[in-house]
Amino acid sequence: MTTRLPPAQVALLEAADAETDRPMTDLAGEAGLKPEAATRAAFELDDAGFVAVSEETEDSLALTAEGERYREEGLPELRLYEAALDAGADEEPVGLGDLLPEAGLDGDAVDIALANFARKGYGEVDSGSVRADPDADPGADAERAALEAVAAGDASGVEEATLEQLERRDLLGRTERTVRQVRLTDEGVTALMGGVEAAERVDRVTPELLTSGEWAEVEFAEYNVEADAEQYQGGREHILRQTANRVKDVLVGMGFEEMEGPHVDAQFWINDCLFMPQDHPARTHWDQFALERPDAIRELPEDLVERVRSAHLDGVGEDGEGYHSPWDIETAESLDLRGHTTSLSMRYLSGYQEGDLEPPQRYFSVEKVYRNDTLDPTHLLEFFQIEGWVMAEDLSVRDLMGTFEEFYDQFGITDLEFKPHYNPYTEPSFELFGTHPETGELVEVGNSGIFRDEVTEPLGVEADVMAWGLSLERLLMLIYGFEDIRDVHGTLCDLDLLRNVEVMH
Amino acid sequence: MPVVDIAPDELRELTGHEEKSDDDLRSDLFDLGLEFEGWTDDEEMQLEFAPDRLDRLSVEGVARSLRYHYGDDRGVYVPSTNDPEWTIHVEDQPPGRPYVTGAIIRGVDFTEESLESLIQLQEKLHATMGRQRAKGAIGVHDLTMLKGDAATDEARSGAGKTIRYTSVDPDGERFVPLDADAEMTPADVLADHPVGETYADLVADFERYPAIYDAIGLFSFPPVINGRRTEVSTGSRDLLVEMTGTDQWTVDRMLNIVCYALSARGAQVERVEVEYADGSPGEYAGQTLDRPDLSTKTKTVTHDRVEGVLGVALEEGTVVDCAERAGLDAEPTTADGEPAYEVEVPPYRVDALHPLDIVDDIGRAYGFNELKPRYPDISTVGGRHERSRLEDAARDTLVGLGFEDLLNFHMINEAENFERMHVDPGDECVGSGEPVTIREPYSEDYTVLRTWALPSLLMVLENNTHRSYPQNLAEIGLAAEVDEDANTGAAERRTVAAVLARTDVSYEDAKARLQALATAFGKNLETPATDHPTFIDGRAAEVVFDGHSAGVVGEVHPAVLVEHDLEVPVAAFEFDLDALS
Repeated sequence: MTTRLPPAQVALLEAADAETDRPMTDLAGEAGLKPEAATRAAFELDDAGFVAVSEETEDSLALTAEGERYREEGLPELRLYEAALDAGADEEPVGLGDLLPEAGLDGDAVDIALANFARKGYGEVDSGSVRADPDADPGADAERAALEAVAAGDASGVEEATLEQLERRDLLGRTERTVRQVRLTDEGVTALMGGVEAAERVDRVTPELLTSGEWAEVEFAEYNVEADAEQYQGGREHILRQTANRVKDVLVGMGFEEMEGPHVDAQFWINDCLFMPQDHPARTHWDQFALERPDAIRELPEDLVERVRSAHLDGVGEDGEGYHSPWDIETAESLDLRGHTTSLSMRYLSGYQEGDLEPPQRYFSVEKVYRNDTLDPTHLLEFFQIEGWVMAEDLSVRDLMGTFEEFYDQFGITDLEFKPHYNPYTEPSFELFGTHPETGELVEVGNSGIFRDEVTEPLGVEADVMAWGLSLERLLMLIYGFEDIRDVHGTLCDLDLLRNVEVMH
Repeated sequence: MPVVDIAPDELRELTGHEEKSDDDLRSDLFDLGLEFEGWTDDEEMQLEFAPDRLDRLSVEGVARSLRYHYGDDRGVYVPSTNDPEWTIHVEDQPPGRPYVTGAIIRGVDFTEESLESLIQLQEKLHATMGRQRAKGAIGVHDLTMLKGDAATDEARSGAGKTIRYTSVDPDGERFVPLDADAEMTPADVLADHPVGETYADLVADFERYPAIYDAIGLFSFPPVINGRRTEVSTGSRDLLVEMTGTDQWTVDRMLNIVCYALSARGAQVERVEVEYADGSPGEYAGQTLDRPDLSTKTKTVTHDRVEGVLGVALEEGTVVDCAERAGLDAEPTTADGEPAYEVEVPPYRVDALHPLDIVDDIGRAYGFNELKPRYPDISTVGGRHERSRLEDAARDTLVGLGFEDLLNFHMINEAENFERMHVDPGDECVGSGEPVTIREPYSEDYTVLRTWALPSLLMVLENNTHRSYPQNLAEIGLAAEVDEDANTGAAERRTVAAVLARTDVSYEDAKARLQALATAFGKNLETPATDHPTFIDGRAAEVVFDGHSAGVVGEVHPAVLVEHDLEVPVAAFEFDLDALS
């Protein structure tokens, strides 16, 4: 009956002997296996009962460098003895200082010589004078003999005590070595007689191998684990969406609620509520997309329209003045694609969208706006605007600065500077400049302000409202440094860029 | 934002600070809110500025602001004006352009630079307040070339010399306009003269065109062009500055700004009388206005308001000091028993509509960047909107199914949205419907809002045939249609669309993902067969969630694939996001 075994095991089995323990290294060589592979195969065969693996730890002795030197030049104490005899120290004590040059001893060797000279009975040293014992026999020095024996590779005749002494003198090093030996068992012999075959080398692990138990009899081919794998294209959220979600998370974390509202909206909500005169240049088709169809909103809250109209023509408050610009309802009712999401803020603040709001409130939006600007590497016709506002009983410029510092800090943009600016609907207004996290340049990161009375009063808001905005694409460009925003946002995108851009976290 | 060219040497001269380097000036200008954009070929600084302070549209105005900023000047300054010698008599002027104003400027001493500065000021005022000359247009004339009519009414105060603002038949008069050699009628000017062609729209609809006459004849055709007779040069010493427009206040303010600029150069302002005849068009018929009106106005600001906006406690003295450094004068007073200030505002300030504008000035003089930011101590609870939560959950599910999420434009053109998908707006299928149309689109590519998102996805596939496959793309975004019942006339919705492009893709692959989506949202999916022109006959189905028809799924028709230059089959679906809620 043929026994099937992995090829390594077969080779080892065939090399082993039933009569003698053979060293693993020998077997490995004959079987053509690497030592680790041979060891592994041997233990597997041992588990299976085909061989018996025995282990012995052997001491391996070797002279240290110092030991080797003393073997060549002679142990210091012996050199001292020889020099002493030559100087007649067996009859009269000789000064140590005279002997040292003769013995060729200096430095530490002197102390070593002295320490061992007396111990081994080669003489005495007293007050700097040396007396040699004429009967001592250097030729019989056990340590000297041991040095020779170890160097020759056979220290079997050396007494243990001497070896230990040499070790203590740091002339000898011992290393332990495990030597494994392998011998065939009776079953191993039987198996060989019945025929042993090398089993298959297998690629894939299959359910059949597992359930049949054959996995134990096969060898798994080694894979080149360093080779490149096939490119895997998984699903992934658009990088601008990731950025938008990151911004939303930050804002929600700061207590802001999300707004929602139409992209197609009346100029009333987009511009008029914002105290922008109807003949303001930004309201022309050069800046905003007016719609052909549909062209007018059906319904606007009448009282609010009246109050806004009054604000435009006469201002608000005792010392307020309006614009010297015409105002008509047709313009207010005409429809545009919103140029900013401040239209949503107006809808919310007016109470029209969610009912009257009492302070304090914080609202935000990260949504699309449309501008008839230009389509080029840094501008799009439609882009995301981050818009946020805070309503509270008393808000000052300091609160505005503090809120926005906190927001930008979350994106690594620090050291904000507030440059006084102008918007028709906020006063004071500020352009925000921040330090770019990578380049360290001062870059514009947003526009902000406190809504004018002419905006809040018609809306029926008595509290203070501060607001700010920034294009999401701008934030994205600051963080990622893309060269052409059209590769990222819109139908002209480059799939590879989207696939390879680093995930935002 | 408007840009103005300013010569640094002029700034140094007008502010009296010859020692300032270009970098010093740039930094000071930034503090004023004027951003340096670059150098012109003539080595002038290009400054971008905000359109509230139109008095800074010339180097004289910028220098004035800098002097206040440095503390060299304080408080309100109004140049003196001499009594009028000239009258502008207004009668039969075009109803479409009924208002006029003017001033006489004596003793100007122009250099090339200061004349250029005046011309730039004119241009910039036209572009901003003047609304491209429609609302207000400026004409500057050499006074020595004008001959006033004798006064017709002896009782009037010495303003004996008269010019007339009136109207003229398009072919009714001839004059030699600037930059021309021959006489032309106003109609000729509109047709043949380059400047005339540019501004023709402003008066083309008038029966009779605006015209200004002196005793010699027509010398100005506002808002289009002046005659050569009164052309101003560096040698001109006395000027007539006139402005016509559709709003008296606007032209008066533009005039104030010009007067201040010329006064800063050492010239003397002399008033004129604007005499509107009885029955003439506009609000001032029968009235005589004394112009320029350089009177100041007063705004009352409470001390509380100033402290409230800035967020710091302030001494009265500080507020007064800041006002003076902003070119204003603040007189402490009380209003309703509360400490307040009566603030005098000079007439070149066209932006001060409300006491709040004064507070902003005080803040700028104080230095906003001196204020310490603080995080407001108010507590609100944040959260996402329901719709965006649904959208995020759907998007996460799609990404989990291996789709690459896209963000396409909402604006598209009809060929992409309909024809290239083989859909007709009149069909009754997913994607058909009347699109929201843009009146004056940026280009032919972006004329409508998309009614569905599959066209966008197919366009992305088309632009990325050189990128590796499979390309499994999805988008959740806006789609819209005209809807007469909606308040805004447009029904906006969120649509979920996906395409699978791969050499061996089929209908089943799309349905499998659709099924996974349905399961994720606890919906029952059914796909009864349907016809849809974008898809292969017999391989298209309605997407029905819990019995509600929401979209379509199928294999895209080869004709549509070939139309989009695609060489792999595509399976796709699209449905309304709300169907998952």
